Amino acid sequence: MSDLLVIGAGLSGLMAAYTAVKAGLSVNVVAKGLGSMHWSAATIDVLGYSPAQPETAVKRPLEQIPALIKANPQHPYALLTNEHIAQALAAFVALSKDVGVPYGGAANPGDNLLLPSPAGAARPAYLAPKGQLAGDLSRSEPMLIVGFEGLRDFFPELIAENLNKLGYSARAAFLPLKLATNRRDFTNVQLAQGMDSKEQRALLGPALKKLLRPGERIGLPAILGIKAHATVLAELERETGAPVFEIPTLPPSVPGVRLYTALRSYLQNLGVNLTAGMEVIHASAVAPNGTPGSIQWVESATSSRPLKLLADKFLLATGGILGGGFNSEMNGRVWETIFDLPLTVPQNRADWFQVRFISPEGHPVFSGGVTVNKAFQPTAGEQPIYGNLWAAGNLLGHCDTIQERSMEGIAIATGVAAAQALSS
Amino acid sequence: MHKLETEVLVIGGGATGTGVAWDASLRGFKVILVERRDLTHGTSGRYHGLLHSGGRYAVKDPHGAAECIAENQILRVTHAHCIEDTSGFFVVLPEDEGDYPDKFKAGCDAVGIPCTEISVAEALRREPLLNPRISRVFEVPDGSSDSFLAAHATAQAARNAGAQILTYHEVTNLIMTGGESDRRVAGAMIRNVVTGEEMEIHADITVNAAGAWTGKLAAMAGIQVTIMPSKGTMVAMNHRLVNTVVNRCKMPSDGDIIVPSHTVCVIGTTSVNVPEPEPLRIEPWEVNKMLEEGDKMVPGFAQARVLRAWAGVRPLFQDTYTSGKGRDVTRKLALLDHQEREGVGGFLTITGGKWTTFRLMAEATVDDVCRHLGTERPCTTATTPVPGAEQGNYWLGHRLHDIEEQHLQGQLVCECELVTRTMVENAARRNPLLTLDDLRRDVRLGKGPCQGGFCTYRGVGILHEMKKAGSWEVDMSDEAGSTAKWDVAYLQSPGHNLVSDADGHQSNQHPANTADSFNPNLLLRDFLQERWKGVTPILWGRQLKQERLDELIYMSVMNVDHLPDKELASPVTDFYRFDTRPTVEEVADV
Amino acid sequence: MFTESWHSVGPTLDECIKCNICTSYCPVSAVTDLFPGPKYVGPQAQRFRENGQPQSPDHSVDYCSGCRVCNEVCPTGVKIAEINARARAQIVAEEGIPLRNRLLGRNETLGKVGSVAPALANFSLHNSFSRVMAEKVMGIAREAPLPHWSTTGTFGDWFKKTQSVRLKSDKKVVYYHGCATMYYEPFVGKAAVAVFEHNGYEVLVPPQNCCGLPLLSNGEFGAAEGYHQNNINKLLVYAQAGLDIVGTSTSCTLTLKEEAPELLDMHSENVHAITMATWDIFEWLRERHGLGELKTDFSEMNMVLPYHAPCQYRAHRIGKPARDILVLIPGIDLRESQARCCGIAGTYGYKKEKYQIAMDVGAELFNFVADQGEAVEMTACDSETCRWQLEHGTDLPSRHPIEILAAAYGLYDLDKRDLVNR
Repeated sequence: MSDLLVIGAGLSGLMAAYTAVKAGLSVNVVAKGLGSMHWSAATIDVLGYSPAQPETAVKRPLEQIPALIKANPQHPYALLTNEHIAQALAAFVALSKDVGVPYGGAANPGDNLLLPSPAGAARPAYLAPKGQLAGDLSRSEPMLIVGFEGLRDFFPELIAENLNKLGYSARAAFLPLKLATNRRDFTNVQLAQGMDSKEQRALLGPALKKLLRPGERIGLPAILGIKAHATVLAELERETGAPVFEIPTLPPSVPGVRLYTALRSYLQNLGVNLTAGMEVIHASAVAPNGTPGSIQWVESATSSRPLKLLADKFLLATGGILGGGFNSEMNGRVWETIFDLPLTVPQNRADWFQVRFISPEGHPVFSGGVTVNKAFQPTAGEQPIYGNLWAAGNLLGHCDTIQERSMEGIAIATGVAAAQALSS
Repeated sequence: MHKLETEVLVIGGGATGTGVAWDASLRGFKVILVERRDLTHGTSGRYHGLLHSGGRYAVKDPHGAAECIAENQILRVTHAHCIEDTSGFFVVLPEDEGDYPDKFKAGCDAVGIPCTEISVAEALRREPLLNPRISRVFEVPDGSSDSFLAAHATAQAARNAGAQILTYHEVTNLIMTGGESDRRVAGAMIRNVVTGEEMEIHADITVNAAGAWTGKLAAMAGIQVTIMPSKGTMVAMNHRLVNTVVNRCKMPSDGDIIVPSHTVCVIGTTSVNVPEPEPLRIEPWEVNKMLEEGDKMVPGFAQARVLRAWAGVRPLFQDTYTSGKGRDVTRKLALLDHQEREGVGGFLTITGGKWTTFRLMAEATVDDVCRHLGTERPCTTATTPVPGAEQGNYWLGHRLHDIEEQHLQGQLVCECELVTRTMVENAARRNPLLTLDDLRRDVRLGKGPCQGGFCTYRGVGILHEMKKAGSWEVDMSDEAGSTAKWDVAYLQSPGHNLVSDADGHQSNQHPANTADSFNPNLLLRDFLQERWKGVTPILWGRQLKQERLDELIYMSVMNVDHLPDKELASPVTDFYRFDTRPTVEEVADV
Repeated sequence: MFTESWHSVGPTLDECIKCNICTSYCPVSAVTDLFPGPKYVGPQAQRFRENGQPQSPDHSVDYCSGCRVCNEVCPTGVKIAEINARARAQIVAEEGIPLRNRLLGRNETLGKVGSVAPALANFSLHNSFSRVMAEKVMGIAREAPLPHWSTTGTFGDWFKKTQSVRLKSDKKVVYYHGCATMYYEPFVGKAAVAVFEHNGYEVLVPPQNCCGLPLLSNGEFGAAEGYHQNNINKLLVYAQAGLDIVGTSTSCTLTLKEEAPELLDMHSENVHAITMATWDIFEWLRERHGLGELKTDFSEMNMVLPYHAPCQYRAHRIGKPARDILVLIPGIDLRESQARCCGIAGTYGYKKEKYQIAMDVGAELFNFVADQGEAVEMTACDSETCRWQLEHGTDLPSRHPIEILAAAYGLYDLDKRDLVNR
């Protein structure tokens, strides 16, 4: 029994849990598994491309939001004032420092960063982990992109060539793989874990220094340690005398693992029990005549009888189609998996997609979701469906967070706002 | 303009064309094969991979059935590594009872197809997911074939015997000589679709093995050959639900066969007459029908994860086309001697048939070539294994086994299909490569559950590194075929692709080749779109979730929609971009 | 040969979206190249395995310890550990079972044999000569923390002997003790009985046999099926009478609930009845507490207690019920370990080729315990093999939480590991 049960351990769920526990509630978090943060570049994208101008990166996202809302009044950002959004982002930045994975923004406050993507494109992002900040393309130092021979998830030549084509100065270089790992078989996360060891990274700094030309900054794949990341970064900058930045690459995301594990253990210390591997499969609700219903408990699957999870309030942050909050089937039905909340997703497969995989309009199936009121309660019409249910994050409808590059911004802003609404 | 001389010009790089090139070059003819795209771009690369025992034709077409079982036995030797000995069941569902099963058994016996009735219990022991309500099961020597590898191996055998194989070379016109009474096809005008270069190939005899495009090619000689393209849609499931080919024991119809093929199983097919061989749209009712029928053979099939859908066309020849239903036409080979039919010399058309009988079709064709050229040379293909056959039959576990034995886990580029970096590099060096789709056909890159989600980026990155390092200089010039050191027999085998082979063909007299025209951003976009085209018809549930992850990777992490070189297109870019989405009417029909 | 059906675990490989989160958190692949990781050997490799291939294509799946971190973190619900267990069974079916694995799989037989003359058995097993020989001949790691047979009689002996003083009540519960409590650690059973009775429950201990888990984890599915069927035959009548079957071994209760039915593809009504009647003891106590029925007349304990929830709780998917109860005890400064696994994973760490892997995996936990400072006198963990590994890795005694709880009720002496005479 707790005051609040958060369902989902993505960024919105954890930000909500943090906000609620700070407001004095007792909070538990359950999740089917881990997700979102482990797949993304772990930057905080607030608004990278506006649907009205999909080709041009948004320069100042918060200033662009009013126009976005004007064009799309049901957009999740429309539930909030810009001030709310800015406060939530500031709360995240403060929290990121407290948990030991500090985030920062562009040199000119309010601007989007432009960070090199692993394909060599310029990614707009509002906030990034400290280790990515020196990659900002608004800075003028030429870039030395360094990869490791044979590494399958990082291609410095490709990055440098595309950056050059886009008008940025960059060149590529390789180091032997053994400077990154002695292992035969590894993922990026395991490479990063290896870097936590001083012996493993001993030769890296000197080798980088040899490659470096004066005035350059160094871009590396995001494998610079997990627990010792801050130390690794500082060491390399000291040994090379140059700014060093990471370029995140294919999942699993090392910066994402750092953020998740830091948030998780911080929350644990605040008394939030976070249990993964628990899939909520059923909700029990009562609805006396004429009133919004009320969730009594939810049940999660176990090795035997379902486990009842009791709480006064419930916050749904299970994500959309990717996060597992929604499921879909051949006949075009798309549904929310726990409470069967009404969704704005088109219920006909003919309306789901664009012709091209890469379409600036986005595929309509991915922009549908749950509709909530200003208090972040899922609604049918004007009425909240359940008096004690709130929702936040990527399950909210009326936008395609991948197309807009607004995934983390929406997760944080709505997660914080929903938790504030339910705590008040 | 560049000119080449040859005795035999083969047009079409599918099973039949490569078979003809192989046979003719073994008989000592000088041979050039031209294919406008990659080998097996057409029907040969778009079928379910069944090596027929002949069982499917045992009742309706005993002659075809006899051909199948004879060729089945031959290909198991000549193309051993392209074939998995899965065996095949013909199962009798409650609704299939009647006199067909007995007729089937008698038909098999009559033409010599080994056919044993086994107990239902035995069948269920071997295939636990089969419908337990089946009443009878017959076992026949069906198999599963890799038509991509087979065409490569056949083409390599042809090259080893002196043939030139020119892919991405398109026929723009036939060279016609003579007057009203002695018209001849004397070769063809060819365009290198990568470089745009034009050339003439003069040939004593030209073989039209263009499959579904046969009619279009014949028309260039002023000859009408009416091909009825009959579309067959197939659906691949995420993993094998059966390890044996499972057929319904009834008259062939839609969705009555499940073929285990590499890591997936494929259910096929539909049969729909279409006006053009490309593009082929897949309609929701087709996918629905496949899953429904699959569910009858393997209960639960319709709920399993679907990976992809595609369609191929059967090039049915109009002369044998009698009724309105494509499948009712006898699928026998049609060898058209245009000297006899229309008085046009030097030109043969080989069409119809099926993959299992491609060698036989080639033999018949080259026999006719000999007759026309006034020489008698015996066919030896039935007893000559192609390179790679010494590896023995394919078995599903071989990649997993090799990777573990050789400790190649860290090298994996395509994790789903276990493709190593060296396999990609060797395939790129040894085989003309214009798109990642070609690499997919060569080594199965991107064919697994994530449908290119992880390996598209890796594949592009590796090719780009090779290009930068100067270690990828495949020569797509017009003489290249005869001089390049081709070795594609081991394309698919991680255990044989242990180290990069630096002595790939180095000469590069012609400046423009695939490697030179390489643009990583185009390659990336093309392949993402190519994969999208095949998933949109089946995108729901788990595959939709997968697609959203792929979208997150390519949009959010990579930002590929804002990479430079947006204006570039390849000769196949448009082919990948046709609308494969179900329409409202089609969805409503289901 | 085992059967396969849609009910079995295989088809969950369809859920995999290749994201590799599982591999990132796998404690085994983090420390060795011999295990390519859960995604690799699980849903990925499974597409390359089939019944009736000329040989099992891969063997590295044998390095999966079955800790199920992968299952826990998987966002899409792939039963990775179970896919691996099945693949191992396939290898065993083809290649036979080494004598060592046969022995380790037969906990119950070993227990019975040793209990005939436990002192002698302990000496025979635990002297250094025997351990070297065991390693050489059978591949049982000489350093591995093998258990000691109880020299004060089995749990069964004690329960029978004390029948006359046992509580009789309308409220009854069936106790499933498992092999470890029976032969090696009868005191865990005594503590459990004391806690049940303190809460007013009469304890029934009907005939029962090994749950079969050691066999399952060594790939001997045929023998395991026999064990599970026997348990169903013996316990069904109680389940049907509506009695709860409660166990102190998290692995045994897991096997009764889910592991055996799922891996062995046993799905009858009777099997299901056992699944639904079985409880882990702290799951059961937490349920009583939720209903307001658990006595909380605890005495102040005054200890810093590092607690490691065993891997099997992950598979139970019931959270951490022992933590939820232990925190009710005044004076316990519970330090919850976030370590992924102690490394031992049942019998995994006993094997010569895996001993060091198990110790490397366990380092995360051992370091956590060390970080808790000098005040720590013991650790707690629900699973017997994990406790033995914890003791081996930290040189501190380790206790089952039920011993702690019994002590908090004033019924049990944590040092002597015996009931307090009152």
